[in-house]
Amino acid sequence: MSEFTHLGSQLVNLCSVLLLLSCFAIVAQRRLSACVDLFALQSFFLATTAALVAFLTGHRHIYLAAALTVVIKVIVLPRILRKVIERLNVSRELVMNINIPAGLLICGGLVVVAFFITQPIIPLGYLLTRDSLAIALAIILIGFFTMIARKKAVTQMVGFLVMENGVFLGATAAAYGMPLIVELGVFFDVLVAGLIAGIYTHRLQDAFDSVDTSELTALKE
Amino acid sequence: MWPVIVLLAGPVLAGLLSLVIRRARVLHTVNFATMLALGVAETVLTRQVLVEGSVTTLGTLVYVDALSDFILIIITAIGLSCSLYMWSYMDEQVARGVIAPKHLGVFFFLFHMFLFAMVAATMANSLGVQWVAVEGTTLATTFLIAFFRRRESLEAGWKYLILCSVGIALALFGVVLTYYSSVRVLGDASSALNVTELIGVADRLDPNVLKLAFLFILVGYGTKVGLVPMHTWLPDAYTEAPAPIAAMLAGVLETVAVYTLLRSKAIVDQALPSEFTGNLLLVFGFVSFVVASLFILLQHNYKRLFAYSSIEHMGLAMIGFGVGGLVGTFGGLFHLLNHALAKALAFFVAGNIHRRFDTLEIDGVRGLATSQPVTAVATLVAAFALVGLPPFSPFVSELLVVSALSAQTFASDTVHVGRFVAVTVSDEVRSVGLVALFLLFGVVLFGGMMAKIGSMVWGAPREGVARGESWTVGHVPLLVMMAALIGLGVALPEPLRTLLARAVTVIVQR
Repeated sequence: MSEFTHLGSQLVNLCSVLLLLSCFAIVAQRRLSACVDLFALQSFFLATTAALVAFLTGHRHIYLAAALTVVIKVIVLPRILRKVIERLNVSRELVMNINIPAGLLICGGLVVVAFFITQPIIPLGYLLTRDSLAIALAIILIGFFTMIARKKAVTQMVGFLVMENGVFLGATAAAYGMPLIVELGVFFDVLVAGLIAGIYTHRLQDAFDSVDTSELTALKE
Repeated sequence: MWPVIVLLAGPVLAGLLSLVIRRARVLHTVNFATMLALGVAETVLTRQVLVEGSVTTLGTLVYVDALSDFILIIITAIGLSCSLYMWSYMDEQVARGVIAPKHLGVFFFLFHMFLFAMVAATMANSLGVQWVAVEGTTLATTFLIAFFRRRESLEAGWKYLILCSVGIALALFGVVLTYYSSVRVLGDASSALNVTELIGVADRLDPNVLKLAFLFILVGYGTKVGLVPMHTWLPDAYTEAPAPIAAMLAGVLETVAVYTLLRSKAIVDQALPSEFTGNLLLVFGFVSFVVASLFILLQHNYKRLFAYSSIEHMGLAMIGFGVGGLVGTFGGLFHLLNHALAKALAFFVAGNIHRRFDTLEIDGVRGLATSQPVTAVATLVAAFALVGLPPFSPFVSELLVVSALSAQTFASDTVHVGRFVAVTVSDEVRSVGLVALFLLFGVVLFGGMMAKIGSMVWGAPREGVARGESWTVGHVPLLVMMAALIGLGVALPEPLRTLLARAVTVIVQR
């Protein structure tokens, strides 16, 4: 392996790890607005990773994906979420189903699980980005966990977006990005999902005077 | 070429038109005309598929073979009957003041976007584009479910959005993994997710990656199908959605979600022994079937009753696909069509009953036979069909699934429980056991369903409920679907049989 690729591989790994760390920070964070900021930061790391991979491999279309990540996930979606928080005045401390230390421990466990699951398939990957696949799965699982552990509609949305970031890292890392049309479609879906969630929190607020989804209990067996 | 364009562009155009049209009558006419055009285009496309085998067009974006064409038939048929039913249903909701007249256009816009997403998901050649379209169905329907904006419907809509988005994010990881394995073999990055490319090289894909990919895809799209334990959004969504939307969700969306699973199964089965996907589907199918038939006994809300019946029928179809082979797969596919017809009919009558009795409680509805005779007959037909009585068509497909199950042979006769316990059972015992279990819960289901529906149909309606039913355009689909349920139970038309047989060969390779 040339010196250059080796350095590149280290850089990609570093960025992936930063993504994973920001996941832990989101789990440990009680303030809603800080969660959104951390999501924006994570998306920024994602864009950096994508740009790095694009630079190191010469796959031009990944630059486009990186640019779209910056526009949609670093700027537009966090702005929508911040507006929702402002309007609903829900920046208060979060009530969680699971307390923070336990949550962090579970997330640590999830990382181990992710590495365990991906072990048999990692040798197949490109040398440059091999280990990122395991990290991507870890991020998906932590995002999933966040959606279960948190009750506020906004944090559930953040959890979903974190999962999406994980999938995207997986696609960039494992296969140097998906076909362009798929990538564009995924971005479109994520953007619309964000907008819809924004409208929902508004309507839920009107109907329930709360965006605490634990109050959504009218429908039961 | 042109049928494909009509099928894709029709709903988009109609959706955009709906946003600018103000008059209800024009809206309904546009909607009905679009569905009629889709029906015609689909007929032409079917003929083309029967002659040519498969159609690839719009570059390589669109790929329609017998399997996807069969699903398209279900989409257009149920869509067409829905458009007629909505004519009287939505007008009455506007007249009662449940929804503002200006919101009718938005309703039709979302309806057509939903339709477009389903058609696109079925026609997509690329598994990635298919994923985008399936997520599109979630986004389009969440506001349709919450359309009446009551607290419960908002809750159901939010739950649906979150659970299905999570599920589908997992499915996307599965698609990424599929791509991860295929791009190594195919090299060409832009077409490495295309079904047309994948099917040729599937046996050279890495089995370990595909295993993991199929697990993610199964859990992901399985959430959309409503397989237990990912089904929790489904009863709420079906109960709160307006009746025609519930009919579309139950009849068509589930079918499309099953289709996406079948596409992946067809690819994975080439790289791995088909027991891998088969056993997974069999387990999920059985659990869904058993859990749903028990939950049916507990229901006191007739829309929830039908919702659980959907889970049960999807479980049944999964058992068919899980057993696989020609008979099982044929039965499973045929069951998708029969279930779509019966379930759409069930939700149509549920809408009629709800409008007349103003309650969703089974106990609140008595004497349907005197208050709404036509609806009462349709309710009975739907219920008979859903519990699998002859001469209705679900009986035929369920019989196929059961016979495939009883003829099932297992590759290994030792089941490992944990690491140290191994149970050895002979083949006969196992398939007899499975069939017995299946029939037992079939009987549970029969009893539960018929007791509840029977109590709604007979007796005397409570005070203040109008008697007699006048004919509306909304009754036309009821008659047509009843006729179809009986007709398909008696004889399967030749073109449909050929199409189904070819669709089976898409899934089962020899």
